[in-house]
Amino acid sequence: MTLNALGLYGIALVLLVAFAAQLLLHELPCPLCLLQRIQFAMLAVGPILNIRFGARPSHYAVSLLTAVAGAAFAARQMLLHVMPGDPGYGSALLGYHYYTWAFIGFAVAIVALAAMLLFDEQFRELDKPQAIGAFARMAVWLVLALTGLNVISTLLECGVGACPDNPVVYELLKSLR
Amino acid sequence: MEFTVLFLAVAIVMVVAWWGTRPLAFALFAATLLASVATYLHHASDVLKLSF
Repeated sequence: MTLNALGLYGIALVLLVAFAAQLLLHELPCPLCLLQRIQFAMLAVGPILNIRFGARPSHYAVSLLTAVAGAAFAARQMLLHVMPGDPGYGSALLGYHYYTWAFIGFAVAIVALAAMLLFDEQFRELDKPQAIGAFARMAVWLVLALTGLNVISTLLECGVGACPDNPVVYELLKSLR
Repeated sequence: MEFTVLFLAVAIVMVVAWWGTRPLAFALFAATLLASVATYLHHASDVLKLSF
């Protein structure tokens, strides 16, 4: 269960870094960027199920499917900017753009989830009541809170219409002025 | 707007996974994953400018 909680803290860190780039660098996420954020948040569903109900292969499958979808979305954005001379979307972090980091993150998640599935011992205690510690409980609340903040942030960014391809202002705030 | 709805759907899946039942959480997860793939396909209409 500790590894599941650590996974949730890892997801929370990714969502926090994305928020930091948005708020500190004033770089609004594009539609594909938002989709990748959504997939990162969805990665948390598997670990939450593991913590609540105990480890099951189906819970890992939930996160694996999400990670594959996320990697596909990030790969698409990398290919959109692969031509020589294309500056890419947004600024780079340690030499890579956020979508490249997202692809690496999803690839790492796929490998980590597959590695977790190797340990059969964890599935022997199915249907036993799970003791949930404060460390794991806090991880769930943190990811849930960050997802809630993303709901508000995306509503402010896109407003009630379609999200622009290259957003530069918070559409909802602009329409309220 | 669709991204706000998707984030909200993910939050609901998390809430159900934490407080609700497994079957409901799985059903909502599947619906949300399908919706995000559909949203991706809707937005992935730009031609990739690749030349090999």
